[in-house]
Amino acid sequence: MASVDITGLRKLYGDVVALSDINISIPSGAFYTLLGPSGCGKTTLLRTIAGFHDQDAGSISLDGNPIETLPAHRRDVGMVFQDYAIFPHISVRENVAFGLKQKKVPRAEMDRRVTEVLDVVQLGAFADRMPHELSGGQQQRVGLARAIVVRPKVLLMDEPLSNLDARLRVDLRAELRRIQKDLGITTIYVTHDQEEALAMSDTVCVMHQGVIQQAASPLDIYLMPANRFVATFVGANSFLALTRDTDQLRLTSGGALVSHKALGEQGETLVCAVRPEVLRVAPGEVQAAEDEVSIPAKLSNVSFIGREMEVLARTDSGEVVKSLARPDPAVIALDPGSAVSMCVRRDDLAFFEDSETGRRLA
Amino acid sequence: MTIAGRRLDFWTGVTGVVLAVLVVLLMIPIFRVMVLSFVDADTGNWTLGNYVEVFTRNFYLRGLKNTLFVGLLGTIGASLVGIPLAFFTARFHLWGRTWISTLAILVLVAPPFIGAYAWIMMLGSNGFVTNFFERLGIEIPTIYGAHGIILVFTLKFFPFVFLMTQTALMAVNKSFEDAAENLGCTPWQRFVKITLPLVFPAISTGAIICFVLSIADFGTPAILGRGFRTLSTIAFTAYRSELGGLPTMAVTVSMIMIAISMLALLAQRRILARRRYASGLTNLPVKMHLTGWQNIAVHLFCHGAVLIAMLPNLVVVYTSFLKTNGPVFVGGFGMESYARMWRQAPEAIGNSFLFALAAVALITIFSAFISYVIVRRETRAAGAIDFLMMVPYLVPGVVMAIGFVTTFRTGFLSGMGAAWLLILLYFIRRLPYGVRSTTSSLRQIKPSMEEAAINLGAPPLTAFLKVTLPLILPGLIVGSLMSFITAINELSGTLIIYDSGTLTMPVSIYLAVLDGEFGLAAALSTVLLLCTGACVFAVFRLAEKRESSFL
Ligand SMILES: Nc1ncnc2c1ncn2[C@@H]1O[C@H](COP(=O)(O)OP(=O)(O)OP(=O)(O)O)[C@@H](O)[C@H]1O
Ligand SMILES: [Mg+2]
Repeated sequence: MASVDITGLRKLYGDVVALSDINISIPSGAFYTLLGPSGCGKTTLLRTIAGFHDQDAGSISLDGNPIETLPAHRRDVGMVFQDYAIFPHISVRENVAFGLKQKKVPRAEMDRRVTEVLDVVQLGAFADRMPHELSGGQQQRVGLARAIVVRPKVLLMDEPLSNLDARLRVDLRAELRRIQKDLGITTIYVTHDQEEALAMSDTVCVMHQGVIQQAASPLDIYLMPANRFVATFVGANSFLALTRDTDQLRLTSGGALVSHKALGEQGETLVCAVRPEVLRVAPGEVQAAEDEVSIPAKLSNVSFIGREMEVLARTDSGEVVKSLARPDPAVIALDPGSAVSMCVRRDDLAFFEDSETGRRLA
Repeated sequence: MTIAGRRLDFWTGVTGVVLAVLVVLLMIPIFRVMVLSFVDADTGNWTLGNYVEVFTRNFYLRGLKNTLFVGLLGTIGASLVGIPLAFFTARFHLWGRTWISTLAILVLVAPPFIGAYAWIMMLGSNGFVTNFFERLGIEIPTIYGAHGIILVFTLKFFPFVFLMTQTALMAVNKSFEDAAENLGCTPWQRFVKITLPLVFPAISTGAIICFVLSIADFGTPAILGRGFRTLSTIAFTAYRSELGGLPTMAVTVSMIMIAISMLALLAQRRILARRRYASGLTNLPVKMHLTGWQNIAVHLFCHGAVLIAMLPNLVVVYTSFLKTNGPVFVGGFGMESYARMWRQAPEAIGNSFLFALAAVALITIFSAFISYVIVRRETRAAGAIDFLMMVPYLVPGVVMAIGFVTTFRTGFLSGMGAAWLLILLYFIRRLPYGVRSTTSSLRQIKPSMEEAAINLGAPPLTAFLKVTLPLILPGLIVGSLMSFITAINELSGTLIIYDSGTLTMPVSIYLAVLDGEFGLAAALSTVLLLCTGACVFAVFRLAEKRESSFL
C-alpha cells in the first residue's frame, strides 16, 4: 500500500511522443483507472511505471521514494498482464509461488500464503493444475493471485479483462474490485472500456495522444467533462454548432437560444454538447418549455433495444444527434426522414471551445 | 548508468560479450584474410599484385571458371531433381512420402565427402560398377573430373531445393490456382504461370544454398578432381605450399570465394526484394490421385531420386563389412575394417567427439543468449549480431581456417594448441545453426512471460533461466543437434589446422581415401553416419516441423 506520485513524465519512441508531461498523484489504497482510445499511451505509462521502459524525463515515486532508476525487478510493483502471461511449464501453485521464491520467503509461510491467495481468487481446487488446463478467466485469476501474493506496493493491470467474454468480464470486474478493496492495495488499471472505468474506479484519468485530459471521480468525468475530448470519449455527447448573437448564444441549426450569458472570447467558435440520455424526442414540431430548448431535426434511425430506444436524428445543418430515451411507440413508428423535435433542458447543456480538446466554458 | 538513454543491465553485458567474441573469432580472422591478400609475400609491402596474379594467370583463372562451372551446373542439377520432386510430393498422393523426405534429410546431413569417395568405389577406375561393365566388354566413363563433381553436387544438394520448395508449395493458397483454372488455364499453364512464380522465392533460396555450398565444397573436388581444380582446392594447396611464408595467394583465392558467395546472396536478395507474397492459409492445397503409367513414373522418379542419392551412404556401410586384407578387399564379409579402425584411429574418433561436443557445449550456451539478444533487444548491437550470424554461412571452411591460423598462430592467442583452434573453429562456423533454431523457438514466446518473472522480483538472468530457457529448450536442443552433426562432419577447415595429435574422423577418412584404404574409410564413415542418423532421429522426436529444422 503506497501512494504514487508521477511528475513530469515523458517518453518518446524515436520521434513519436508516447507520453508528454504526465503528472499523477494517487493516494494510498485508491483504484485509479487510465482510460483512453487505442494508442493514447496507457500501456506505455503502465510499463514505464513497472520499469519495462526507460522514461526520457520525469520521476516516479512510491510513498515519496523515487523508483524511476531502479531496475524492473526491484520496483515492488505487481503487474497483471493482458495476455495473462502464466508460465506454461509450471503448475498453478508454482506460478503463484514464483515471486515468493524470489523473495526467499520461508517454505511454511510460502505454502500458507499461496493457499490463502488461491482461496481469495477462488482457485483453491485448481492449485495443482497446469495452466493449459484452465479457462481464460481462471488464468486471469492466477495472474492476479500471482501478482498480489507478494504484497506489492502498487498493483498494475493492463486491460486484464479484455480477452474475456462480456458476461465474465462483468462478473470478474466486481470480484477484482472486491479483492482490491479488501487488500486496500493501490491499483492502476488500464482500460479503453468507459463503462468498466466508471464502474470500478475511485479516479478515472482520461488520456489522449500521450496527454492527460482530465483526472477526476467517475461522476465528475461523466457529468463535468473538462474538455471536448473527454465529453466525446466518455459521455457519448452529441455536439451542436453555436452562433454568437451579441451577448447571447444560439444554436446554428434552428436558432434556439441556449445561453444568455456571454461565454468565451468574441470571435471564438463554440459548440454545445448534449448527452443522449437528457434528450427527449417527439414527433413533429414541439414548442419548447420555459427552461428547455427544442431542436428541429430529421429522423435518421430508430432502434428499439428493449429498456430504451436509441434515436439518431440529423439537424438542418447536418449534425448528428443521438438520444437514448424511454421507448415511445409514436417515435418508433416514424419513418426515416420524418420531422422530429429534440428537447433538452438548458441546464443539461455544456459548452466547449470548438477543437478536438477544446476547453469547457463554465 | 546509461548508454544512449538506455539503462545498462545484464543483457547489455551479454550483448557486449557476444559482440566481443564475434569480433575476435569471426571479424578479425576474416579481416586478416582480407588484409593479407593485399600484402606482397616476399617484401611485406602493400600490393594489388596478388589479385593481378589471380586474374591473369591461367592456373587461377581456370580454377575460377571451374568453380563457377561445377557450382552452376550442380545447382541446376539439384534444381532439376528437387523441383519436380517437391511438386510431386506436395501435389500427388504418393506411397512412402515420409520415407522420401526422411531419406532426403539423411542425404542432406550425411558427411559431404562420403558421397565423393563412395562414387569412386562404384564408378572409379577400380569401382565395382566399372569393373562389372568392363567384364561385359563395355567401357563406361569414370567418375573423375567435372561431370563427377557435378553429379555428386546434384545428388548431395537437391534436398535443399526439394524441402524448401515442398514447404512453399504446401503453403500456396489453392484459391490462386483455382482462379487461374477458372480463367481458362490448362494445368501446365497454371503451373508455369501461377504456381511456379509463387514458390520462386523458396526455389531460389534453396538454389542459392546449393550454389554457396558447392563453391565452398572442398572434399568432393579434392577426391574426384584429378587435376580438375576448383578455388577451394587451389586455396588449400596454395596454403600448404606457402607454409612457412605468408599465405598470400591462399587468402587472395579465399577472398574471391567469399566474394562469389556474397554476390550470389546479394543477387538473390535483389531478386526477392520485389517478390513478397503474403498468403493467408484459407484454402489449403489438395493432393491428387494419379493413375496408370503416370502414377508409376512419378513413383519411380521420386523413390529413384532419393535412393540414388542415398546410395553412396549405403555403399559405404556395406563396404565397411567387407573382408579385407590390408587395403585390399579379398571377398566375403568380415569385421577387419572395424578392427583396423580400432587399432589405427581410436584417437581420431575420440578427438572428433571431444572437439564437436566441446564446440556444441559452447554453441548451446551462446545460442541461448544470442537468440534472446536478437529477438528481444531492439538495439543496433542486436541487429549487428543478427547480421553477423549470416557470415559463417558465406565463408568457406578453408577460408575461415586460414583466417584462424594467420590470426591466432601469432599474437595474444598464439599459445593455443590445434585442439583449441579446432574447437573454436567448429564453434564459430556452426553457431548459426544453433542460433537460428533457438531464435525461431523464442519468437513464439510472448515477451510478457519474462516480464512477468521480472515483475515478480526475478533479476534478468534468473527470469531467463527459470522462464525463458525451459520454454525454448526444444528449439535449443534441435539447434544443438544440428550443429553437432555439422561440427563432427567438418573436413575442409580441419585439414588446414590439424596436426598429428588432433586427427579427426573426417580427416582420417580423407587421408585413408587418398591412400586407397577404402575399408578403413568405410568403417570410419559408418561410425559418422551412425552418429548423424542418431541425431536426426532425436531431432525428429523433438521438432514440431521436422523438415524445416534441417534447412
Ligand atoms: N515499441 C514501440 N516503438 C514505437 N512506438 C511505440 C512502441 N510501443 C508503442 N508505441 C506507440 O506509442 C503510442 C502509445 O502506445 P501504447 O501501447 O501505450 O497505447 P495504448 O494506449 O496502450 O493502446 P491500446 O489501447 O491499443 O493498448 C502509440 O502511438 C504506439 O504506436
Ligand atoms: Mg495497451
